[in-house]
Amino acid sequence: MHPIDDNRGMPGPLAEHLRAPATKAAMLVQQEALQAARDFLRGRDFTELLPPLIGPVTDPGGRGAKALDVDYYGNPYKLMTSAILYKQASLRGFEKLFYIAPNVRVEPVETASTGRHLVEFHQIDVEIAGATRDDAMEVAAGMLMFVVERVWQNVPDVLRGLGRDPIVFHELLQGGFEQVTHADAVERLLGQGHPQSPDAEIDWIGEELLSHKADRPFFITDYPKGSRGFYDREDPDRPGLLRNFDLIAHGGYGELVSGSERESNYATIVTRMRESGENPAKYSWYLDMAREGIPASAGFGMGVQRLVRFLTGLDALWQVSAYPKLPGMVAP
Amino acid sequence: MTSLTAHGFPEQHVRARARNGTSEVFPPAGSYGAQLFGATIDELDEARLVPPVFMPQRLEKLIELGREPMHDDVDLTTGIGGFRAALPVYLSAFGSTRAGSGDLSVAASRQAARLGIPMVIGENMVPVHGYRRNGAGSAILARIREYMDACDDATGGVVVQQSTEDADCEVWHLIYTDPTVQPLLESGRLAFELKIGQGAKPGLGGMTVVGAQEAQRLAGRFAVREVLGEGGWLRCASPGTFTEEIVRQQLRFMRNNFPKARVWVKFHPGRDIAWAAATAWRAGADAVTVDGAEGGTGWAPRVFLDQVGLPLHECLRRIGRPEGCLLVSGRMWEGARAVRSLALGATAVGLGRAALLAVDEDPDEGLIRLVDCLALEARLLVSALGKYSVAALGPDDVWLPQSTQERLAEPVRIGAPA
Repeated sequence: MHPIDDNRGMPGPLAEHLRAPATKAAMLVQQEALQAARDFLRGRDFTELLPPLIGPVTDPGGRGAKALDVDYYGNPYKLMTSAILYKQASLRGFEKLFYIAPNVRVEPVETASTGRHLVEFHQIDVEIAGATRDDAMEVAAGMLMFVVERVWQNVPDVLRGLGRDPIVFHELLQGGFEQVTHADAVERLLGQGHPQSPDAEIDWIGEELLSHKADRPFFITDYPKGSRGFYDREDPDRPGLLRNFDLIAHGGYGELVSGSERESNYATIVTRMRESGENPAKYSWYLDMAREGIPASAGFGMGVQRLVRFLTGLDALWQVSAYPKLPGMVAP
Repeated sequence: MTSLTAHGFPEQHVRARARNGTSEVFPPAGSYGAQLFGATIDELDEARLVPPVFMPQRLEKLIELGREPMHDDVDLTTGIGGFRAALPVYLSAFGSTRAGSGDLSVAASRQAARLGIPMVIGENMVPVHGYRRNGAGSAILARIREYMDACDDATGGVVVQQSTEDADCEVWHLIYTDPTVQPLLESGRLAFELKIGQGAKPGLGGMTVVGAQEAQRLAGRFAVREVLGEGGWLRCASPGTFTEEIVRQQLRFMRNNFPKARVWVKFHPGRDIAWAAATAWRAGADAVTVDGAEGGTGWAPRVFLDQVGLPLHECLRRIGRPEGCLLVSGRMWEGARAVRSLALGATAVGLGRAALLAVDEDPDEGLIRLVDCLALEARLLVSALGKYSVAALGPDDVWLPQSTQERLAEPVRIGAPA
């Protein structure tokens, strides 16, 4: 059986799930991980803001995930799929900022069995004014290493109780995460007989295949335009490629982080919106701000539940959420 | 008014404009929803199908069958934009227009499904009519359900357009994640069509006539303008801005976001149609639809109906040999125009106004009978050409009047102007 062909079980009734020892262990790991992430970022002069929950627009995202609609005094508002637009806007007052942000994405039903998708999830959402992609990648890698080390220091018994062995993280803690371009990743997958499209996101199976081959996390960079949102900056020297990255965990756990340098030029943002099928008129507050000037930046989001699943080694993302909502399943 | 006259000058039209103002830019508002608009005859109709005397492909068929082939040996099954269709025919988009979104369109959906031909659902259905799951008022779901109830499990498919205003409502997301639509998705019979242009009004967006109350309701999503006098309000959708790169990237985005759906693109008959179509195919479009400037179910300013856009025949000439699946619509209703289009490069033809008229004539069987006629004519014509499949047709099967032949000698340019 292919690793993601099974359903990795499904959550039982909520009361049962909340009582489960694995849920309790996951929450202990989660709180350590969040505390460590905060300590790491605060130690580097980041300011924590609390993100907005609704707005006239949200991150249009990709991969077929939909935003939920909210009626806001008669105006059609969206629940945040990510607060990326607000992160960029906030750079005007805060040069280095982060959120622990709740997000809601109505993912396609077929993602219910990947073990890596929840409708409600959280991100450690980081943005740095004036930063390059390399700067953002360095922060993401540093934060991951810091969190892993701290969690093993503080709750080793919990991790061992879940069957986790520190040896799994040995290479990670040495750092030196490899960087592969999207084009090389596609090449590798095609070489393994996996039919990966060269101008799309690495698909779930492909990502998992690459993840299984690695002994520590690694970056995939230079995704093609058309696979990501309009805010990921296009490489001026290599049109068609984005100055972005994903950080992929080893061991089959897949993507932990997605980040990029951002577009900050008004005309480029409008054009990129059209290229991704968006109606610029919807984004008026953001575009007005972009016209006045948004600082150049780079940043990323690290999925909290994906991080905790990676730390705990649990099979599916729903096991590390107290209140899991799987795509396509109606749950409290 | 004095006795001033101007012989040889369109005096009456000038006087009507002077009297009635901007409502004269359009057909009478009272005819909206009850009248379909478009041209009467074009060069494609003037071309003739020309059977040869010697028919090597008939000999091949004779050998295959072991008997003389007849017209019913013609195989009309066709791959249309990633779907398998019983005929080289699809049901064209009619969207939020009054003629296109009522009971007639539901009847057309059912009959298209029974025929095993794909159905395109037009733009602006959701921003105008909403999308309520399990709700009786959802025009788009009513059509999809009707189609799904009546189709078999292998042929046909449903194609959903999205315009700029539809994108605000995330129509494709709604459809893609709707559990009731999953059977279509799972059987590979759902496609999304990027709506880039209007056949009847190239360069503009969709237009309909609405009452004052509805105009108020729609004002947040569309431009509504009081230019029709007492006849109603004009509701305008934006045409959307496209460049080569925008088209290429939007198609990639569609393939990335909706990996299980087929990707179609619809263009207006623009003068750069060959370049546009090639761009779309190279970006992975499963089908390119070209709607000739031949009219439609919606509403168009009079000057657009007969003075703007390339005729379908000229579009086919400019595209030449298509790089991918090419779908054409505009004044299709019988076999000969369809077969001429197929011979000149189209993979299939779309029925728009003809389908609405047919279901208006008989909501249960009208479209089926109309398509039966078209299919019989197509079989007769294709077999007369000594061929037994649609794919075997070619430009040699069509004779063009001298004036058209002269233009055919001109080179076709694909790509950016130098």
